[in-house]
Amino acid sequence: MRAKALKRYRREVSVAIAIGALALVLAVAAPGYFSAENLSDLFLANMPVLVVALGATLVILAGEIDISVGSVFAICGVVAGITAKLGMPVTAAALAACAVGGLLGALNGVLVAYLHIPSIVVTLATMVALRDALRWSTQGAWIENLPRSFQWLGLTQASYPFVTFGGVATLTLMLAWTLRHLAAGRAIYATGSNPDAARLAGLHVALAKSSVFVVAGMLTGLAALLNSVRFNQIPSNAGVGLEMKVIASVVVGGAAITGGRGTILGTVLGVVLLGAIGPALTFLGVSAYWERAIQGGIILASVTVDAVRARAKRNVPQLATTT
Amino acid sequence: MQPRRHEDTKKKYKRSSSCLRAFVVTFAFVFSWLRFSFAPAGQQRILLLAVAAEIAVFSAIAQNFFTAANFFEVMRFSVELGLLALALTPIIITGGIDLSIGSMMGLAAVLFGAASRDWHLPVPAAAAIALAAGLAGGALNATLVAGLSIPPLIVTLGSLSLFRGMAEGMTHAAVNYSGFPERFLFLGQGHLWGTVPAQLPIFVAAVIGYFVLLHKSIVGRAWYAIGSSAAGARYAGIAVSRRLGLAYILSGVIASVAAIIYVAHLGQARSDAGAGYELDAITAVVLGGASVFGGRGTLSGTLLGLFAMSILQNGLHLAALPSELTGVLTGTLLVATIAADRWRVRRSMTVADHEQGEISVRNSQVAILCATILAGAFIVAGTNVWLSRSVAPSARVASDAAPPAAGRRPVIAMMPKAKGDPYFVSCRAGADEAAKELGVELIWDGPTSLDAAKQNELVENWITRQVDVIAVAVENRAAISTVLRKARDRGIRVLTWDADAEPDARDYFVNQATAEGIGNTLTDEAARLLGGRGEFAIITGALSAANQNEWIAFIRKRLAEKFPDLTLATIRPSDDDRDKAFAETQTILKVYPAVKLMMAISAPAVPGSAEAVRQAGRRDVKVIGLSLPNINKPYVHDGIVQTVVLWNTRDLGYLSVYAGSLLTQNKLQAGARSMQAGRLGTLEVRGSEIVLGPPLMFTKANIDRFDF
Repeated sequence: MRAKALKRYRREVSVAIAIGALALVLAVAAPGYFSAENLSDLFLANMPVLVVALGATLVILAGEIDISVGSVFAICGVVAGITAKLGMPVTAAALAACAVGGLLGALNGVLVAYLHIPSIVVTLATMVALRDALRWSTQGAWIENLPRSFQWLGLTQASYPFVTFGGVATLTLMLAWTLRHLAAGRAIYATGSNPDAARLAGLHVALAKSSVFVVAGMLTGLAALLNSVRFNQIPSNAGVGLEMKVIASVVVGGAAITGGRGTILGTVLGVVLLGAIGPALTFLGVSAYWERAIQGGIILASVTVDAVRARAKRNVPQLATTT
Repeated sequence: MQPRRHEDTKKKYKRSSSCLRAFVVTFAFVFSWLRFSFAPAGQQRILLLAVAAEIAVFSAIAQNFFTAANFFEVMRFSVELGLLALALTPIIITGGIDLSIGSMMGLAAVLFGAASRDWHLPVPAAAAIALAAGLAGGALNATLVAGLSIPPLIVTLGSLSLFRGMAEGMTHAAVNYSGFPERFLFLGQGHLWGTVPAQLPIFVAAVIGYFVLLHKSIVGRAWYAIGSSAAGARYAGIAVSRRLGLAYILSGVIASVAAIIYVAHLGQARSDAGAGYELDAITAVVLGGASVFGGRGTLSGTLLGLFAMSILQNGLHLAALPSELTGVLTGTLLVATIAADRWRVRRSMTVADHEQGEISVRNSQVAILCATILAGAFIVAGTNVWLSRSVAPSARVASDAAPPAAGRRPVIAMMPKAKGDPYFVSCRAGADEAAKELGVELIWDGPTSLDAAKQNELVENWITRQVDVIAVAVENRAAISTVLRKARDRGIRVLTWDADAEPDARDYFVNQATAEGIGNTLTDEAARLLGGRGEFAIITGALSAANQNEWIAFIRKRLAEKFPDLTLATIRPSDDDRDKAFAETQTILKVYPAVKLMMAISAPAVPGSAEAVRQAGRRDVKVIGLSLPNINKPYVHDGIVQTVVLWNTRDLGYLSVYAGSLLTQNKLQAGARSMQAGRLGTLEVRGSEIVLGPPLMFTKANIDRFDF
């Protein structure tokens, strides 16, 4: 029973081991890394990434991909800021950000699910078009002079991390539970594993595909809000390169890019690992110039080790030529 | 204005009109070749119509668009991207993807530069090293994808970071290799027989090579088979991993070829070469009808996709429409062509007769296409309304103040380093003000992110458009100088502002402050605040940002000379992202507790750094930097940010346009010692530099007087 569980979560276990190894090195070389202050800072900095990654997990589980999240993130931040500046309460700003995110997600979802355009193409197009449209409409101006009640969602700097930690943890657990136990969650796995079989089994494949994009968009909107409220100004160029960070986290966490395999736990571990490495390198005194190479090397090493292990176990050549 | 220029233009056009005929014939030939010998799939046909529509629209609204010279210029700028798109075509046909090609270009470019400058190798040997690196990088991807069956998206996502990171690590992201031999630069900048860009034959050779490989060889058939069904291909006896690996190895090598041409084209090699090119290349391939699921796609489609993108960009530049439209229209075009094709396929399936379907559903294609063009036209019309509104009051002011000299209003084309950067947005406000005052037409456009190659392309397009003055905020000195010299040869007056090109490549440099002045001011201010001793840290922009690296060099020099007790603890990048500057500052405060001053030298980094200091509650840490007053006002008033150093950016834009206007009227002659610049009064001219004045120091006392 236990061996079976270990086997099912093989990938999650490898990531957990990698995190453990990193923690061990840090504990010896730079114990300051584990100060409460640093952990809280790391949590706040990576929470938006985690929330976006939750949405990306759903999309990837359904066998699709969304690389427009960075642009949507920037737009939702600006929308939240404009709403707040109009004198609306912060809940209205949150709703506006989520609604705009959901709408843009729906645009992606409809094009993918109902017009059958490959998701990488659709989201490549929306990523470029939305980014340039935002740049054009704001002309690079930041949203300044936000009302005082906007920062920290109207809470204090001390209480904000606890409240959001509770909120994000609840959200994560709910998503994990939904994926595991609700029909909607199983439909996502079924769609990602084999859309034809899912359709023959009576599942509404197009609906499942389009709704993961909508949910991912709404989560991106929420993440944009959670990121914006940590500051009192909103830049219009946020989230550049966010899609790469998010996809790397999900994939390192063990989700199959071909769909149908992966867990929320894996994504959480992936975000923790990749989010922890950057500052860890600074703590270990690594020059900033080599950081990117080391991060790329770690991604490659982690997937290679996994592939080699899988191959040794199965001893049967396996093909994965599709993106 | 100048007789020489008109003669030149006439001569050029005599030549072009004969070339024009050749171009039309070539185009008709290509068109019919695509139409008949390839029986292009639906999407290609739609794309062909879109390209034709682009050409028709831009011939009508853009200046000098439909000329042979412009045609070859478009070709020249398509070569690097075209090579990457070629390399990607078979990979996408096998159902894979290679995101690392842009980074491979960066790594190969840096290796080439290092080999030729630091190791003193001749060009062929340096090229061999770059190609070997491409081979090795391609082989790494091939091993992981084909050998270990790891999904290519993940592998190349990892190698994207790895290759770029290696290039940055090797050069500390700052080294800028230039000074290559003339004969090598000819490869990227010269013309064969006076008209054909020198790199074009290489591209044509690569196209032919890939065409034979993809469409006329066993290898190509294997690629299609793998893309349709990898398992099926294996059962059919195809050596799947070998064939698959070959596509990735070739892509590494071709990316290196592209890197060498890129270096020859720009005359410089830096670690950021080819950044973001992978997405453009994928767009071109997919636009050309290749399916990302594999098994479908052609080389002619890729070429068509490439030209659709290049022509769009070129046309928008020549029509003086903002660059941001490129992204919006490319995205629309991408979705529209594929959606139209999907619609066609679905319709034809219900008809259940494919032959019939292909012909009968033309109506729907036409409808979609019309909708796309209409949408594009609306956007264009919208901007025109908006533009004319913003221009209208200026015309009135102009007629009051200074009647235009010779019937036509002079056109001043002004380029920031990056559009959308708040710093340059505030420069634009001043430029608009001066343009209104003087009654000149101002074209304001630039790359949407820092990109030396895009700057060159835009200057070339402005030369084609025949503007009167080109004023550039130079991103890369060596790269821009060759095109600026060309502009001067054509009789266009050239200014540089914000950052300079080679002195012989421009008439005047509008100098807001020297790098040395900025470095010294910042260092002295840090020393004053710290009492001459202690540690401080720098948050820079991107690691490869040329300006910042130059300032850092002067800061280090000043420290060594005057402040031996002041130590620079570390330098961290912010990539001009406020949130990243925030996170980096948080980490620095913890790792280097002795740091008592943060020096942020990128406009968005100062508020990011300040917010981190505020949230950490470290009132003992001071923040200074180079930024804009508005975004820093809250922090300056809170006493977190002590000093923001900058010049008056509005005045910088104002002065640049003013100087440009004086140049067109020949009122600013060589040897002048001073110039009159409207509301700025009399300013000093030192040699060929117009000096704006000393940098401003924004503090609590004066910051509210500035609004930009």
